[in-house]
Amino acid sequence: MLIFRQPLPDISRPQMEADIVIVGGGPAGLACALRLSQLIDEYNARNPPTPLSKENIYVLEKARELGQHCLSGALLDPRSMRELLPGFENEAPIDATVSKEAVYFLTGNSKIKFPLTPPPLRDHGNYVISLNRFVKWLGGKVEAAGITVFTGFAGSELLVENDRVIGIRTDDKGVDKHNRPKANFDPGYDLKAKVVVLAEGSRGSLTKQLIGRFQLDRDRNPQTYGQGVKELWEMPAGRIAPGEIIYTMGWPLTSKEYGGAWIYGGKDNVVSLGFVTGLDYPDPRLDPHRVLQEFKRHPLVSKLLEGGKMMRYGAKSLPYGGWWAIPPVAGNGWMILGDSAGFLNSQRLKGIHLAIKSGMLAAETAFDSMLKDDYSEAALQHYMERVERSWIKEELWKARNFHQGFEQGLWHGLLHAGLQQITGGRGLHAKYASHSGHRRLRKLADLPADGGVRAHLLGNAKGDGKLTFDKLTDLYHSGTKHEEDQPAHLVIHDTNICNTRCVQEYGNPCQHFCPANVYEMVESGDTPMGKQISLNPSNCVHCKTCDIMDPYEIITWVPPEGGGGPNYDGM
Amino acid sequence: MADTILVVVEQRQGKLNRVSWETLVAAQGIAAETGWPVQAAVVGNEVANIAGEIAAKKLNKVFALQSPRLEPYTPDAFIHALKQFIQTQKPKLVLMPHTYQVRDFAPRLATALERVLVSDGVGYKKEGEKLIFIRQMFQGKFVADVSFNCEPPWFVTFQNGAFRGDKVEAGSATAPVETVTADVPEGVVRNHPHETFKEAKQAVDLTQAEIIVAVGRGIKEQKNIEIAKQLAEALGGEIAASRPICDSGWLPMDRQIGSSGQTVAPKLYLALGISGAIQHIVGMKGARTIIAINKDSEAPIFEIADYAVVGNLFDIVPPLIEEIKKAKG
Repeated sequence: MLIFRQPLPDISRPQMEADIVIVGGGPAGLACALRLSQLIDEYNARNPPTPLSKENIYVLEKARELGQHCLSGALLDPRSMRELLPGFENEAPIDATVSKEAVYFLTGNSKIKFPLTPPPLRDHGNYVISLNRFVKWLGGKVEAAGITVFTGFAGSELLVENDRVIGIRTDDKGVDKHNRPKANFDPGYDLKAKVVVLAEGSRGSLTKQLIGRFQLDRDRNPQTYGQGVKELWEMPAGRIAPGEIIYTMGWPLTSKEYGGAWIYGGKDNVVSLGFVTGLDYPDPRLDPHRVLQEFKRHPLVSKLLEGGKMMRYGAKSLPYGGWWAIPPVAGNGWMILGDSAGFLNSQRLKGIHLAIKSGMLAAETAFDSMLKDDYSEAALQHYMERVERSWIKEELWKARNFHQGFEQGLWHGLLHAGLQQITGGRGLHAKYASHSGHRRLRKLADLPADGGVRAHLLGNAKGDGKLTFDKLTDLYHSGTKHEEDQPAHLVIHDTNICNTRCVQEYGNPCQHFCPANVYEMVESGDTPMGKQISLNPSNCVHCKTCDIMDPYEIITWVPPEGGGGPNYDGM
Repeated sequence: MADTILVVVEQRQGKLNRVSWETLVAAQGIAAETGWPVQAAVVGNEVANIAGEIAAKKLNKVFALQSPRLEPYTPDAFIHALKQFIQTQKPKLVLMPHTYQVRDFAPRLATALERVLVSDGVGYKKEGEKLIFIRQMFQGKFVADVSFNCEPPWFVTFQNGAFRGDKVEAGSATAPVETVTADVPEGVVRNHPHETFKEAKQAVDLTQAEIIVAVGRGIKEQKNIEIAKQLAEALGGEIAASRPICDSGWLPMDRQIGSSGQTVAPKLYLALGISGAIQHIVGMKGARTIIAINKDSEAPIFEIADYAVVGNLFDIVPPLIEEIKKAKG
């Protein structure tokens, strides 16, 4: 019997008053906090008699430590960091400067090198970083600046009063599997804030509540996503230079799936490699984790990795939708930053620099509000105006139609991308429409039983234990841990659909798209199809793919007890 | 004063924690290589019985470090008493089992003496004059060699199962027992322990079990747990399980073995229908003998099993129970 997490009713909760609450201690949230602190410091230096206080500015982070849930390739475009902290390069943890790049189109066993690196993929001067270490470092700056960061606390609910967001509720701790308080029960806080800043990353759970409640997705393209699956390898010396990077397109994907791989040479012979698969593939049996395993079997990669050792694993979703999919980012008592808003350039596969910039712009807006004590919708909307005037808009505008161009497959996509390149991002239409990725899943009845040309992408990987790995082995290397005795935080609104309809129509794609083996169909005598959904919530790496890709939209990802999740140390 | 090894054994309510024998084995091994004499300390109130039990083993001296304030256990009292005791005795090396209780006080004890603690060690070796300790990192994926770069005393704790407790050498004569009265003044102890309890009902400490019969998803249905229980009973062992079984509520969570459950090192581990995902393996790979029964000949559990039985557990286990009963008469 599955029992799902829900806020405990009728309990008294501690109340706390805050000025600004930032939900999420990633690049966006921390940049916001740090910029805010800088503005306050400057102001206080000019106006000693009437100082502003930072005491009631809080950052909440659901990971036990900052950076533990932060995952990316990662390449950093330093533009926004140079604005936030000029000279940051001298002290930030940077692995290497990109010095050599190559783009390949792969077929089953050969490779075609692009004669020229397409302009959006030119990365000279960008930095190879571990986002985990970078965020830890940035968090240290925020704390040293005097802003309180609460780690191990998730934002579990938005508090809304008369169409105004008045705060957030943190997670209830010490709740058992049956939603009953345990001996160590500690109710979530009601944190009342003048402005709630949502910086939760891709598919934020509070952001989803906000978008749903105020229909912020009206007149927007639906957000589309990809799932990035990453492994960190330790290589024999000299195999790939620090700062050498490779992108690939094509194999193992067919022309109907969107995606590609990255390989980044870091320092100390550590290589980051991963594969992003667009969460708009047609075959529900496709497994993005398997795609990465198949990719590693390509001669280009297997030769590179030979004699190396896989050290770490992780997976996350990323928003691909671009400019037309960004919801209103400010309103009555709230602002949305970074990946939660969709500030990611899918053409350049980069979002960290935009997340940081959006955090800075939100901070400037919040600071103005503090000065005027005006947190109205009109005041906070200056954030959107700042975005419009900034290079965020300039950069995303050029890529505004990029991902949509690939909806008909790779060949159409490349054609559109070429046209867009010479028309300043426009292409054939002023605004390319898009569709939610899960709507493009096809039913099993319409697909070849043996998988046809994509048989090698379907079903879970077995793994040889050296080059390729089964999901559980990879998952082990993510360091994921949760309190086991808690209700399932993957809230399935109707498990009958899983056990009766989905099993026939789509073959339960959750088993495949989840990169952490959370979802399993187990044999059962109680259901008509002989199979029953079973969950392993403590495996969850917080990627949100299930919330995005489930074809019936019956899964809601809510935060588990704070502190649980992956441990992306060094990732 | 000559270099000595001090083993702080663990007792609770007059009962020796058997993992203490493992620490003594480690101490005897180090003594054999270094020539340093081994001493042991039993901490508590009226611990003469345990001190006597320890004194039968091959060591130079046993201290019964006693005070009414050392019973029941509190970190404040233990740290106060052991700090004084160690400052007086000046051992070179202080070894302790890595138990919950030791984890509670050892870091503070080491810090109080301005020393570091090498925790959760799994072995030692001597390279030249250098004494090296081996400890696991990254959930057991790597092992690191560490040595002390400071003045003694050197504090080390050893993981459960790192040494074989049954290999502890008996002494040719009983070692002398010295009772030391610890001076724990009033006001030192700031903690007031209430009655001890285990949160889960019928909680079991699997780390103390010598024989474990563990079931995995191959058991199929909750009612089939019974045959595993019968096997455990026949062998005089404890029943345990992999995560899916406990997650389904077929067995309580305190019976779960693996990265999200307990880590065990019994003499015998019988895995029934357990595929052997790495998450389970890390919790039981220290078992001395592993017998695995699984239908799937490619199950990863067979890679670490000493005895691999490919077959249906429902065909194998019932006759096995009968044979064990016969053999035991």
